[in-house]
Amino acid sequence: MFSFLLRRIGVLIPTFLGITLLTFTLIRLIPGDPIEVMVGERSLSPTLHAAAMKRLGLDQPIATQYMNYLGQLLHGNLGTSLKTQENVWVEFKTLFPATLELALAALAFATIVGLLAGIIAAIKRGSIFDHGVMTISLTGFSMPIFWWGLILIMLFSVLLGWTPVSGRLDLAFDVQPQTGFMLIDAWRAELADPSLNAGAFKDAVKHLILPAIVLGTIPLAVIARMTRSSMLEVLREDYVRTARAKGLSPARVIFVHTLRNALIPVLTVIGLQVGTLMGGAVLTETIFSWPGIGKWLIDAIGRRDYPVVQNGILLVASLVILTNFIVDILYGIANPRIRHAK
Amino acid sequence: MANAKTLPTMAVAEEPVINYPSPLKEFWLGFSHNKGAVAGLAFICLIVICALFAPWLAPYSPIEQFRDHLLTPPSWAQGGSSAFLLGTDEVGRDILSRLIHGARLSLLIGLSSVVMSLVPGILMGLLAAFFPRWIGQGIMRLMDIMMALPSLLLAVAIMAILGPGLINAMIAIAVVSLPAYVRLTRASAMTELNKDYVTASRVAGAGLFRLMLITVLPNCMAPLIVHATMSFSSAILEIAALGFLGMGVQPPTPEWGTMLASARDYIESAWWVVTLPGLTILLSVLAINLMGDGLRDALDPKLKRAA
Repeated sequence: MFSFLLRRIGVLIPTFLGITLLTFTLIRLIPGDPIEVMVGERSLSPTLHAAAMKRLGLDQPIATQYMNYLGQLLHGNLGTSLKTQENVWVEFKTLFPATLELALAALAFATIVGLLAGIIAAIKRGSIFDHGVMTISLTGFSMPIFWWGLILIMLFSVLLGWTPVSGRLDLAFDVQPQTGFMLIDAWRAELADPSLNAGAFKDAVKHLILPAIVLGTIPLAVIARMTRSSMLEVLREDYVRTARAKGLSPARVIFVHTLRNALIPVLTVIGLQVGTLMGGAVLTETIFSWPGIGKWLIDAIGRRDYPVVQNGILLVASLVILTNFIVDILYGIANPRIRHAK
Repeated sequence: MANAKTLPTMAVAEEPVINYPSPLKEFWLGFSHNKGAVAGLAFICLIVICALFAPWLAPYSPIEQFRDHLLTPPSWAQGGSSAFLLGTDEVGRDILSRLIHGARLSLLIGLSSVVMSLVPGILMGLLAAFFPRWIGQGIMRLMDIMMALPSLLLAVAIMAILGPGLINAMIAIAVVSLPAYVRLTRASAMTELNKDYVTASRVAGAGLFRLMLITVLPNCMAPLIVHATMSFSSAILEIAALGFLGMGVQPPTPEWGTMLASARDYIESAWWVVTLPGLTILLSVLAINLMGDGLRDALDPKLKRAA
């Protein structure tokens, strides 16, 4: 186990260094003069230009620049936003819980519905339900999720008036961000001041439902398909036949003997959805004006706030790498064959 | 080559009864067995026809603005006009014409980004398989890094550097889909490399390029073709997403995703502006994915169960 862990960490470090190299190169690949690009239409006097170059360290040799960049990163300095003059890490920290809350809700939705649909489709193979699940999941897999979001808003917010159009909470409520998770904050605010904040929790849930469904659609399709095929694979195994032959109840065969073994590949697939979720968050947050890091990055790109773009991407990538690393380790624990393979 | 020519005639002479179907016919038998795949193919043909003959099929120019007919509903809806079958958008452009012309862009971008990632992807994958030590390790680590970034985010980052536009969008999507091709080619080439026919060819004195491109590559093509179909559909989704975010093809060019960029403002007033472009994207992507499933069944029976 220990050497397995070491091997994984051995891959983790060069990958992380590679990502820093990528985000470092990113800002230097911009055609033209970076300072002029950053200030936009306004022109700068040569002295101010030189001062800005010096301040950003752009006047030094490229290798020195990279070493400086790494040094800054190791000190936890991710630069400041050109727009707000706020530390990039501080901005990320405040916005990240919103994205995390959305992603967790989406993942919960996708996992619960996807597992159930996949399991039932596999048990009732060839039935109308099975065909239905497969068709819907292929449709979900092909879905342009930004359009899906618009359609759901049109249906549930505009036509039926069930859910709000955007944001995380109605402005009428007085909820102080403490954990950053709106569900928890709203719950606590409601308990603390029931007269003012009655219904805050329910309102937060209403705001969360549509974005979570939209973001969870593609993972849902992937999980349902994977669960179904993995279940079908395991249902063919000899030990399942043995379990049936010795007279175990069908529920026991499905849930104890089949599901546990079928879940291993499904778990990996769920872990791999983190990348999809982070990419999807960019679109979902834009549609629902959800104040998370996806919207933050898109806004930063829109106003050429390069320190935010550069290090925001670095942070998101590190997050994905780290999650995949954890999934890898968990997979190694769950399946000894992986752990001992070369 | 002389041997190869005489062999089949000998086989036919010995067993004249057996008529194997031609590879093409065999492929079609496997493919048409999957009803969804045939339906997908039919829809794709429709889209291709739209794209090829757009100027003749579309009733109007995609950028012509009919100032008297802003936000006209589709012809079947109340207030619709038979002059604009699917209605008009906020500046009075005919939506049907824009969708038909948009097919050109989506197919063009999808196709070129697939080619732009397929060719370097195959070459890098072959290199990584043939030289697994230094070059291979280097290439694969680079791909790992690219895979660590969510593809849309990487595409957005590339667009942030290159600036919005048609060609840049193609490049961004090609770069994003590169790692999958490299990994796929490398994996199948490495399995092939251990087989006897490759050793035989090597012993017979085949050069590196002959081994790579003529001996090994054709036997790796099946999964690559299947993956190319799938990445074609995700390219269409990605270009639409970039367009929606305002970073892809710029208006007034009729691109399906770009058409949706301003649609959010019309959620309450004009459902057709919101619904139709997205539905076109969904159906095209679905059709290509269905076709991909059929291709996989027909080309690569081994993969059938893995789906």
